[in-house]
Amino acid sequence: MSSDHDGKAAPRRQFLKLASLGAVAGAVAAAAGESSEAAAAAVPEPEGKGYRETAHVKRVYELARF
Amino acid sequence: MPARAGVAVIVDSEDALRAQLYRLLSRLLAAPPDRALLDLVAGMEGDDTPLGRGMAALAARAAAAAPKAVADEYTDLFIGIGRGELVPFASYYLTGFLNEKPLARLRGEMALLGIARAEHVKEPEDHIAALCEMMAGLIEGAFGESASLPAQRRFFENHLARWAPQFFEDLAAAQAAVLYAPVGTIGSAFMAVEQAAFEMIDE
Repeated sequence: MSSDHDGKAAPRRQFLKLASLGAVAGAVAAAAGESSEAAAAAVPEPEGKGYRETAHVKRVYELARF
Repeated sequence: MPARAGVAVIVDSEDALRAQLYRLLSRLLAAPPDRALLDLVAGMEGDDTPLGRGMAALAARAAAAAPKAVADEYTDLFIGIGRGELVPFASYYLTGFLNEKPLARLRGEMALLGIARAEHVKEPEDHIAALCEMMAGLIEGAFGESASLPAQRRFFENHLARWAPQFFEDLAAAQAAVLYAPVGTIGSAFMAVEQAAFEMIDE
């Protein structure tokens, strides 16, 4: 269920718009990437370089792609 | 939003942007950005709100940043030798130690949601980057249907609200932070927006 579409949701959406979440769409979307497969791809680095891999999530639904 | 695994997701534009911002924060906090991501971030614009100003500041720093310097900054902030300047885990902020009850509660909730830690990852799941990614997934319906706003709110309250605002404040003020200082500002402003917006829903 996504956010409801009756009048109750309007103040919250208006608030989010005013807080600038309506304003910065294009570049944020591009920088965020379509999905976290992109984020997973961005995680480095074998341990030898001194980087730690941070926690990531693997979605169970990915296993369900038959 | 594109359908995933056959599930059609309808997300209002403001909620889609919330998800994107969580995802951007997740990408920047999971690893230092490469040149390509820096270039994308440099293209962001912001209006005259705390969040907008943070985005404009981050864009400016990204435009001026060199990937090697950013990687060093990331190491100093989050990795260090033994630990970085900051320890970005819920358990650490809430109890002073890693791998504590906050992590156990998160794992319980992840199991209910059908999320598992990727096999090759050794670090605990209550890292700020992972939590931001989970919020993005909840909003976008990555774990099934898009989570209801009350469900999103519960996740936020249970796993972010009590510590992430402080973490982002600490990040904005961290000695080693240059590019990551406005990441802290953005995160801080965004957490406040999330909290206030959640308080406008019925549950």
